[in-house]
Amino acid sequence: MRQKLQPLLHLALLVMLFAGCAAPAAQQTSAPAPAETSPAAEKVKLVVWWWGEQEAPGAQKWMDETIAKYQEANPNVTIEAVLQSTDTLIPAFQAAAAAKEGPDIQYFWGGVWTLESVWSGALIPLDDLIPAEERAHYINNFERAFDGKQYGIGWYLSGNPFVYNPKLFEQAGLSTTDLPDTWDELKAACTKLNEAGIIPIAGGLKDGWFGGWLFSIVGRQPHDSEKAFMEASVGKSKFTDPQFAEWWSRMKELIDAGCWNKDINSLDYQQGQDLFVQGKAAMIFGNDTFLKGWADVIGWDQIGVMPVPKYSSGKLADTYVVTAQGWGITSWSKYPKQAADFLMFMHTPERLNAWFQYTGVFPADDRLDTSLITIPQLKQIFEWDTTRPGPNLENFIPSMLDEQSNFAGAQLLFAGEKTPEELAQMAEEVIAKWREQNPDAVKNFELWLK
Amino acid sequence: MQKKIEPFLYLAPALLVFILIFGYPLARLAVMSLQRPSQGQQTFVGLTNYKSIFSDSVFLTAVKNNAMLLICVPIMVVIALILAVFLFERIRGWQFYRTTLFLPYLLPITVVGLVFSYIFQLSGVLNEFLALIGLERLGLDWLGSPRYALYTLMFVVIWKEVGFGVVLFLARLMSVEEELFDAAKIDGANWWQLQWYITVPQLATVIEFFTVVSVITMLSWVFNYVYVMTAGGPGNSTMVTELYIYLTGFRYNQMNIASAVAVLLLLVTGVLIFLELRLRERSELMQVVG
Repeated sequence: MRQKLQPLLHLALLVMLFAGCAAPAAQQTSAPAPAETSPAAEKVKLVVWWWGEQEAPGAQKWMDETIAKYQEANPNVTIEAVLQSTDTLIPAFQAAAAAKEGPDIQYFWGGVWTLESVWSGALIPLDDLIPAEERAHYINNFERAFDGKQYGIGWYLSGNPFVYNPKLFEQAGLSTTDLPDTWDELKAACTKLNEAGIIPIAGGLKDGWFGGWLFSIVGRQPHDSEKAFMEASVGKSKFTDPQFAEWWSRMKELIDAGCWNKDINSLDYQQGQDLFVQGKAAMIFGNDTFLKGWADVIGWDQIGVMPVPKYSSGKLADTYVVTAQGWGITSWSKYPKQAADFLMFMHTPERLNAWFQYTGVFPADDRLDTSLITIPQLKQIFEWDTTRPGPNLENFIPSMLDEQSNFAGAQLLFAGEKTPEELAQMAEEVIAKWREQNPDAVKNFELWLK
Repeated sequence: MQKKIEPFLYLAPALLVFILIFGYPLARLAVMSLQRPSQGQQTFVGLTNYKSIFSDSVFLTAVKNNAMLLICVPIMVVIALILAVFLFERIRGWQFYRTTLFLPYLLPITVVGLVFSYIFQLSGVLNEFLALIGLERLGLDWLGSPRYALYTLMFVVIWKEVGFGVVLFLARLMSVEEELFDAAKIDGANWWQLQWYITVPQLATVIEFFTVVSVITMLSWVFNYVYVMTAGGPGNSTMVTELYIYLTGFRYNQMNIASAVAVLLLLVTGVLIFLELRLRERSELMQVVG
């Protein structure tokens, strides 16, 4: 009998998990009353839930060191840092937010990933906790701004260069000085690489994430601003409109030109990227946070970076996709002032420089000592970060659209199961469903859009 | 009167704990499924969430896929039955087979999922092996094609779960009186007749139990397989209701919709368990009467 009932018990537990984790309705979020200055002797414990070692190896070492230094300077403060996995990062925080117990400081991806927690009342504005002149140094603050307030700060930058292997280019008879600038040139390069027996571009779509990347990197080109996607999300335009639908056709062109690894649908994101590191693929839509790690394996001489070849002339086509991964302070934290102080400590020049030295990733702060950047490829990335930054579009659309349209759609496109037109229609259906199911979120998006 | 109340008084502490642990969350879940956030408050919206999910093509795909997974149940019953009979008849090497057949059931689903993910990649072990023996044309994109991914998943579920059925059936067969088989043999029954007229009837209750548990597994216990092997893709072709609940609740931040689906799933599973209990009661009653 016990065994017989076991599945029901498991199911009931699952059900209870949802009941217990249910986020309360959006609450009025207001700036906290300025925290009383804690007496020096008062013991303060800050809990930090973070993510980042996964995409910026070396982050753990930096975090441990940063905490040790901060605790040394502030003996009354104890900091407990918990590294989250990619899969638990969001669910664990949602459960914590429902219970109003958990971290004082939480790691967030930018844009909607942060603001959803603002809308549910889990985060407080930082305007009164971190001085404006300090915040002015932080890069990409706009991703965490809502209704005139700043709800988080950046930690490090994560951008998407188009990465190529110069040796494989030479092997295929391609120039490494005159790189593909246009879609047609990219397709021509694919042909040459295929003739040389080299996979032109590698990717992995099985876990879905790469579909969202492609949307952000490729889908941006006909547009001038991320606001176009926010407007389409709230129904002011349609994802079936030509400028939104075009990227599906352009992706299809690359598929037809034989640009991709054939097993893209059966590899996950990391396995797809590994094809480049293994020297099997000549190009990838990469992440600049991984560059140092790849260079440690294959050497900088096999890594080149270039802008994504263009097929359209919107303002975003000339931008470099970059987002600031960052932090927020929770509304239930007993020590918001101390939490803000720790965040500012992370942004002290010594810590910024140490971050770059340990990870090879740029901090989201303009006070980095740029003389530390000696690798030409990284210099190039930093120049793009500072002269032509553009938004990561996944941060400005509902996650349902990303998952049910971009993730699933890219898989169906590569499987040959749907046409670009059908996929554009699918995107519109998903966003219509999102609007129907989330009237409150639509209002928040509209407010955000303003 | 006092005697009637007394047992309930003894039960009260346990009942109270039970209600607190199970009753409250379930009630809250049901209430949430009837609400939606509106201007900072949870507002009663009746069956709106339920209507919404029934017009959601992804949810309907998930339900259809769960229904497809039910095909695994008769296959598992038949395979487990055949294997149990062979083991019961102590074929050569039966002790080795008994261990190896049950081994998959003991392995964590995550490990099984990861291993089979590698095996079934387009450039994975299976397709390389097929190419090696000259059967390259049979190589498919087992997990990368929306046409085959669900069937591949079903294969893995069967591979993993069938061992439980084998052990159940074998345990029951061990307790069947030998005289039944001996008498049938004396009466001239052949091997098939032995299985059909003795083995299967003797295993009826265990088969029934395994069937119901397997049905529940296919409806509400396949999340790990799907999450590890396909994440519901490609293109939602392996989406199941559990994953739909997870994604809706935790990725899309729509707890009310997720609650509505969880309520439906709980109801369906609950009905199945109720039916199983009634069947069990009936068969026990028939045994007593018989």
